[in-house]
Amino acid sequence: MTKLCSAFLVLIAATGVACDRANTAPQNAAETAATDAKKPVAEAPGTSSSAASVAPDGQPVNPMGAATLEFQKRIEAYMKIHNEAEAKVPNLKRTDDPVEISKREQELAQMIMTMRAGAQPNEIFAKEFEPHFVKIVKDDFANRSAADRKALVHELPKQVKIDINTVYPTTLPLITFPAGLLRKLPDLPPELEYRIVGRSLLLRDVKANLIVDVLRDVVPTIPT
Amino acid sequence: MRMIQFRVLSVSLFVLALVVGGQALTDQQRQAAAPAMEVLPPVGKDSVRLLVIGDSGTGDRAQIETAAMMWRAHSVFPYEFAIMLGDNMYGSERPQDYARKFEQPFKPLLDAKIEFYASLGNHDDPNQMYYKPFGMGGKRFYTYQKKDARFFALDSNYMDRDQQRWLEQELSQSKSKWKMAYFHHPIYSSGGRHGSEVDLRAIVEPLFIKYGLNVVFAGHEHFYERLKPQKGIHYFTAGGSAKLRAGDIVVGALTAKGFDTDQSFMLVEIDGDAMHFQTISRRGRLIDSGTITRQNAGGTS
Repeated sequence: MTKLCSAFLVLIAATGVACDRANTAPQNAAETAATDAKKPVAEAPGTSSSAASVAPDGQPVNPMGAATLEFQKRIEAYMKIHNEAEAKVPNLKRTDDPVEISKREQELAQMIMTMRAGAQPNEIFAKEFEPHFVKIVKDDFANRSAADRKALVHELPKQVKIDINTVYPTTLPLITFPAGLLRKLPDLPPELEYRIVGRSLLLRDVKANLIVDVLRDVVPTIPT
Repeated sequence: MRMIQFRVLSVSLFVLALVVGGQALTDQQRQAAAPAMEVLPPVGKDSVRLLVIGDSGTGDRAQIETAAMMWRAHSVFPYEFAIMLGDNMYGSERPQDYARKFEQPFKPLLDAKIEFYASLGNHDDPNQMYYKPFGMGGKRFYTYQKKDARFFALDSNYMDRDQQRWLEQELSQSKSKWKMAYFHHPIYSSGGRHGSEVDLRAIVEPLFIKYGLNVVFAGHEHFYERLKPQKGIHYFTAGGSAKLRAGDIVVGALTAKGFDTDQSFMLVEIDGDAMHFQTISRRGRLIDSGTITRQNAGGTS
């Protein structure tokens, strides 16, 4: 939270959003997330002819900073739902019984899916900032050796149907997320992680094994 | 050579005895029917002894046979615990999969109270960390001490900043004589299919060097490989404890010893400033063995 507040302070003039807004308890976390997702944000980078975006007050904004800030706000909104859902299912403790692990994972997933029943694609990967994520991934791939790219693409699960607010296929391997690329993407709380399936970048809820959001056609096509 | 040779009968008879004979065979008959086993006994009296297995969770015949050989090896080399290098469970992870891909193949080890300390592979659901027999203490990455040795089990699937910070802190605080890390993806490998994980290497290797890590074990590649020491650190890949990618080793500048024609596992002993290792195939052959002297022996640790 401190980190987020600091980021707000830096960009407060540009965004016109008070820092304590994020601390205001929502009436309903799911509603808040949906509302936040629809809120207008700074001009979409990549859609402007200039390098910087422009905030409502006319001040230029570092588009990457604005994208990261907005992304973190949406992550925080999701985490409210996650935490609310976790509070409603039994705690998971270390156990000898895999039934408990499996049951808890399913219950948590079901709870979140219900609470996010109206979730739409790009609710977290805001459409306006998609070009930034695409650029990060493409630049990362462009800087890899041919052998590295081939090895990575070779491992990626392909032709798998994935959708938001559904369970990540339990028989699908969770391929390693390239550590260098991970450093370039915005940080996530431990409950969430990035994953790549096919050409899509996913946000996955670790404890619930749930696909939270999908950014499609991000990973470049590489001939194998 | 401290080698113990057991009576040799045909391998097919052993397989037949396991698969068809099942419970009807006595232990004596099983022993007689078993193929040769070339396992070296431990050297030290109060040493740290461990079993190293990787990519084991198939639940298939190869896993069952390799696990059976691990248990036989225990009679000669009584290891106290086992480290798992990831891909502890392939495919689905329903409760019955935990039984078929872990509890049943390793039942003799579990019955003998041999502790397992798992790391996560790309086929593993991170929620495995809550499964007590995997010894992860509810954490994706963790550390523990065994006499003179500190072990660092990492999650190489997802080396985020949190884990990197944690690793640096733990390594910097450790005063252990031996520092050993294990995780799924090898940062050096001669594998034709995967090869070295250079991304991961760029992040963890500087920490390994800075804080004097001694040995690294990895899986992912479905074979055994001992690499030539890299920047003073010893690397082993042991990802063939059930899965096998035959003929995948591209012998090159990195390779000290490779084995990709049968499943395998490692037996490791830490005895003072020496680490003795041996690699045993599913059929009980001694594939590789040797002794490593602790790099910083004699210096401050």
